[in-house]
Amino acid sequence: MKLSSIRPVAFLISKELVIAALLLLGVSFVIFIILFLSPGDPFGVMLKGQMISGSAKAGVREALSMSSAWYSQYLSWLVNMLHGDFGTSTRTGLPVLSEVIRVGINTLYLTIGSMLVTLFLAVPIAIFSARRGMTVFNWTSTIFTYVVSALPVFWLGYIVIYISIHQFGLFPLAFGSGSQKIDWLNFMLPVFVLGIGNGTISEVVRYLREEMERVFSEDYIRTARAKGASIWKHSFKEGFLIPITEIVASKIPFILGGAVVVEQVFNWPGMGRMAWQAAQDRDYPLIMGITLLAAIIVRLGSLIQRVVHIMVNPRASQE
Amino acid sequence: MKRYSQYSVEVSDFSDVPFWKKASFMDLVYVSYGIFIVILVIGSYIVGAFDLLPYDPHEINLELLMAPPQSSGHFLGTDFMGRDILSRLIIGIQAYFLPGLLAIAIAIILGTCFGVLAGYWGSGFDTIITYINNLLNSFPRLVLILLMVAAFKPDIYYIMVIVGITNVPVVASLIKGKIQFLKQKYFIEAATALGLKNRVIIFKHILWHNCRSILIIQATLGMAEAILMETSLSYLGFGVQEPTPSWGNMVQAGANYLMQGKFWPSTAPALAILFTIMGFHLLGDGLNNMLERRRNK
Repeated sequence: MKLSSIRPVAFLISKELVIAALLLLGVSFVIFIILFLSPGDPFGVMLKGQMISGSAKAGVREALSMSSAWYSQYLSWLVNMLHGDFGTSTRTGLPVLSEVIRVGINTLYLTIGSMLVTLFLAVPIAIFSARRGMTVFNWTSTIFTYVVSALPVFWLGYIVIYISIHQFGLFPLAFGSGSQKIDWLNFMLPVFVLGIGNGTISEVVRYLREEMERVFSEDYIRTARAKGASIWKHSFKEGFLIPITEIVASKIPFILGGAVVVEQVFNWPGMGRMAWQAAQDRDYPLIMGITLLAAIIVRLGSLIQRVVHIMVNPRASQE
Repeated sequence: MKRYSQYSVEVSDFSDVPFWKKASFMDLVYVSYGIFIVILVIGSYIVGAFDLLPYDPHEINLELLMAPPQSSGHFLGTDFMGRDILSRLIIGIQAYFLPGLLAIAIAIILGTCFGVLAGYWGSGFDTIITYINNLLNSFPRLVLILLMVAAFKPDIYYIMVIVGITNVPVVASLIKGKIQFLKQKYFIEAATALGLKNRVIIFKHILWHNCRSILIIQATLGMAEAILMETSLSYLGFGVQEPTPSWGNMVQAGANYLMQGKFWPSTAPALAILFTIMGFHLLGDGLNNMLERRRNK
């Protein structure tokens, strides 16, 4: 990279960071507004079952220096969060931040692993059909991707559990329970189920194939082919790296959503299961923390995508 | 919903040859399968609405628990309370049909408004709407719905409003891209020069003549999204509640008996979900290949 081009890239990346911070601010505002509008505001939960009269409630609010105007509530909540205080779960009484981070790691294993499974399946199909056109193999694999993308993921999970119990005598239902011997199975099965059943394979194949076909018909690829140079080397950045980071970044929310269901099926001790439990219990602080962490993961993914895009092609991002 | 790449379409590409004559064979297969599924869904909805079912879907028959398919007059067998699975499948369409239409309407109407604002009037609106789009894309949809469920109540219409709103960015960015492309064309410039009102240009020249197909495609994909969301939430216990059948809670209830080797109570609704969603996806993709790609060969 030339020295003169370094500064704009650093500038662009810092711009992306600012945008991500602004978006997270917006996310926290949306979460606050939803809970503020709900019957029983976020702070009313704290008082539930303790105070009866309205004046007593107001007194507690005042004692906690909680003003009733919505903007000051929002600001104090935001300042608390910036100090790392996400409140405590109303059900377990544990601090939300450490709980969410503890289970968030498990969810990250699940989502990253399943993303790799999706890519291992989708990329070869996309490359084959972009290079060779639509052969019989490619039609079958395309139809296959459509079928697996439409499968309800929880049913796929049950079928996999049924087969593993009845055919192999294994019970893949206790990831993280401590017994090292079958832990790899408890790990692999949910990852595979989410990787196949998260409904994104057909889209990854489609998008990657279209982008590759487009790049393969560009002039510079034709020149490379005429020169006898490697087409892969020339098309790698534009035809593979950029589309794949784009599609993966835009699919992170879907995979996190699928993780909620798969964690439920396999008893995976992750964020999705905790979100489900929190929604059952109306545990506001917990579900607020989970939603924020999920949004942070999504933003981090698209930040990485933007950085890759800028590094590969600084010119296109300078408009 | 899906993001399709935008292909540049020249006005000269529009020809008198109808689009289905130029389409490839596989796209025709995709689209006809999709249309078949749409007709099946609407037909089943009508059958369910006029109560023409083979059995009463709520009738409990304790003498015929878990009857296998094709036995004693029940085409797909009965579930754990002896209720006819086929009737429950048909009536289960009502769980997502109207809510799904609501989600589609919200996504299409709001998305079109946002797209037109950002694409036609440009920079100021564009910045704001890009921000809103990115904001909505930051939430994993299922987590946002769980937040709503915790804050308000698990109601399918609330959930579908969220599904609709989270689909707005996709529609908006597609419409925006299309308008930004069309604005460079001579016919829009000519319309402006002729003194046509913005209203006429937007609704007639842009939306009706050039964005129709995008919106139809997004509507089909939105329905698939709504079904998938309804089934996931019913599985999680926040969607349609048990005595009322929906495909999601049928799979969930039947799955308890899967371990005993009685597979049909959960497989029948699961396959219904599979074929329906595949139909909507194939319809959307096929229509997209036919109407939007128009590649010059």
